[in-house]
Amino acid sequence: MFFHIVHYKLLAFYKTVFDKRSVSIVRGIASSLVFCGFAYCAYTFAFSTTRFMLEHTRTGLYLFHTFISMLLFVLFIAVNLGNIIVSYSTLYRSSEVSFLLTKPISFTTIFIIKFFDNFFYSSTTLFVIAFMALFGYGSYFGYPWYFFAGVMIFVLIPFMFLSACLAVLILMAIMKLAGRIGFRKVMAGLFALYFFLIYMFFDSSNPITLVEKVNRFYPNVDAYLLHAAPGYLQYLPNQWVAQFFFYIARGDVMKALPYAGILLFVTIAAFGLLLIVANRFYYRSWLVSLDVQSAAQKIYDPAHRHFMDFRSRSLLPSQIEVLVKKEFFSFFREASQWIHFVVMIILTGLFAISVSNINLNLHIMDVQMLTYLVMFVFGGFMISSLALRFVFPMIGLEGQSFWALKSSPIKENKMFLTKFILGFVLVLPIAEYIAIASNIPFITETELRSSLLWFGIFNAFWVSLTMVSFNLGFGGFFANYLERNPIRAASTQGATLTFLATLLYLIVIVVIILVPVSAYFAALFQFKIFHFKMLLLAGMLLAIVSLLLSALGFIVGLRSMRRDF
Amino acid sequence: MIQLHNVTKKFGSLTAVDNLTLTVPKGEFFGFLGPNGAGKTTTIKMIVGLFAPTSGSIFVNGYSIAKQPMEAKQSIAYVPDIPFLYEKLTGREFLYFIGGLFKIPKSTLHDRVAELIDHFEIGNWIDKRTEDYSQGMKQRITIAAALLHHPKAIVIDEPMIGLDPRSAKIVRDTLHMQSQNGISILMSTHSLPVAEELCDRIGIINNGKLVFCDTREQLQLDKARYDGKFESVFLEVTKQ
Repeated sequence: MFFHIVHYKLLAFYKTVFDKRSVSIVRGIASSLVFCGFAYCAYTFAFSTTRFMLEHTRTGLYLFHTFISMLLFVLFIAVNLGNIIVSYSTLYRSSEVSFLLTKPISFTTIFIIKFFDNFFYSSTTLFVIAFMALFGYGSYFGYPWYFFAGVMIFVLIPFMFLSACLAVLILMAIMKLAGRIGFRKVMAGLFALYFFLIYMFFDSSNPITLVEKVNRFYPNVDAYLLHAAPGYLQYLPNQWVAQFFFYIARGDVMKALPYAGILLFVTIAAFGLLLIVANRFYYRSWLVSLDVQSAAQKIYDPAHRHFMDFRSRSLLPSQIEVLVKKEFFSFFREASQWIHFVVMIILTGLFAISVSNINLNLHIMDVQMLTYLVMFVFGGFMISSLALRFVFPMIGLEGQSFWALKSSPIKENKMFLTKFILGFVLVLPIAEYIAIASNIPFITETELRSSLLWFGIFNAFWVSLTMVSFNLGFGGFFANYLERNPIRAASTQGATLTFLATLLYLIVIVVIILVPVSAYFAALFQFKIFHFKMLLLAGMLLAIVSLLLSALGFIVGLRSMRRDF
Repeated sequence: MIQLHNVTKKFGSLTAVDNLTLTVPKGEFFGFLGPNGAGKTTTIKMIVGLFAPTSGSIFVNGYSIAKQPMEAKQSIAYVPDIPFLYEKLTGREFLYFIGGLFKIPKSTLHDRVAELIDHFEIGNWIDKRTEDYSQGMKQRITIAAALLHHPKAIVIDEPMIGLDPRSAKIVRDTLHMQSQNGISILMSTHSLPVAEELCDRIGIINNGKLVFCDTREQLQLDKARYDGKFESVFLEVTKQ
């Protein structure tokens, strides 16, 4: 039965991927080009960063792999959180599950099919990124081809798979508890616990604290770091992977292999446990999910009016008013939207607080400049992720109900502009907050003072503008009005392409700001003359590129809204 | 009034509507029938601006839907075959949402919403989110929303799907009354008895072409030529 269903799912997948219509072929070629471009960038970035850190800044192997461990932890959490949220839709709210449950198929079979469906659907892009990053990293060390294949199959995929298994185990535990004490209490408790654990992890292994301490020992960092890492880190899967790479890099294969072995063993055990739990509990938890949905039904008191009530008067023109209110309710009455937003705000807050407290003791131009650029890119990456998750699905989430707008006397540009402004209002303050926080460590006592801060604030505005218009426009272009889940809508092929395109835009920006920023740090550390004109010129160039891309987003978005519905 | 002049709609190599010319004058109740995939919904979607015709022109109350879409849409109401609503809004909020899109002043809208809630007997569940509604509840909300702005023409696609007998009667009576008040109605349906009961004129579309178009009186003569059943006329004219 399992293979019978998988056969038809693969058939459906094949027909979607190898669609022979000209539009699909063009789209497929464009997708491939962007994917290849991005894959190449990921490779180059990983290779250059490895070389730069190990040769130029002479970061020791241990510190370098500690950084890798941090990145792997972020990847683990990303896969884990993503799978918890998406699995709820896939396993409990999918019409396919309802259909399969009416057929003589075991619950465990349905579970396995949906679990793998979910894992491969949400992790394909991460596989590509992980592989190309691995390829860039490994190429620096000159590893043979079979190293990459072996590490991918036996280390990285199990690593991500373990994260997904734990995610679904957590989800089923949530459903079980929700059946007893209520969904809201469980969610509140779980989020508190989750953030406490993340805080604990970063508190005890904060890379920023690590950098600060290491800087004092520079360049003999390996000596310092030998005993620096907290003991419990050795029990975390990201540490096993990082240790595996570390020992391979040192040429000590025999010390590396046990880490891969532990990872594989734990992954298989976690999957086994997952199957046992699913066999006993999946169907019962599915029934609980029905109760949770029924309990969420609510009759609103018509006598109670709040500030966003449709009946209340507003200063806005009526069409804009009702569009804004509709977006407001659609967002805040959808748990997956506001919960995910709160999570991202908290993570952004943690990031901003951490970076604003960096104390750069190491007065070396290249290190400071690299730190600045890395923080700039990371901030841009967060804005890009935020726009992808919340702005990209905005048009598609109109869903089948879009007929109500399309058949009403409202212009498409008014609809688009309203969505754009709402997205921009959501993204800009966060972008500016990140820009300010990540520039604070670089404010100097010299005459250059806060010029970099103002430059960052200016850039954040243009980056936000571009990210929002680009994501909104291409979200319309790739809109699938049948997809009601915002998280799935933000992880489709179109979403991935848009995300990759915005990352390419970030690279272009880094290239633009590289010259004035390096001149700035040269002026700071080598006392060369700094011309403010350089910042102005770079700012203008950045604004022009951003405006062009924003215009492209607007054109594509407006055209998509005028398409047949 | 709804006018279609030589309207064609193609999807790639498929011609969904083929050179269709049709007029629904003021106050006429026009029944639009046809087998599955004949082109009914495509035609309706072109009339309300959801699809752009490949060729030909469409006028709603004298306004071209292509050149003056705002004016045309302001004077028409559309009820789709499947009543998708914004799930997170309540029925009342949905009515206010549509009212706002049609720029109905708040004071007028309050009274109109109350009137329609009363008329369609939807007060018991109007303040629940529409995601908790049954098909029939959604259908009634959609029809109520369509009437909010006092349209001059109504285009309604399969209005009776999912309605219980009482709701179906309310909808039938409402549409009949609208037609008598001078509103043009174009109704697509698979229910031959409903079409016979309500419509002044009936058109049958097959493979994108209008293959039958007659008044109710003329239809009686056509029926007499077969076995006295409208079903037989329908099957004959839609035979390949």
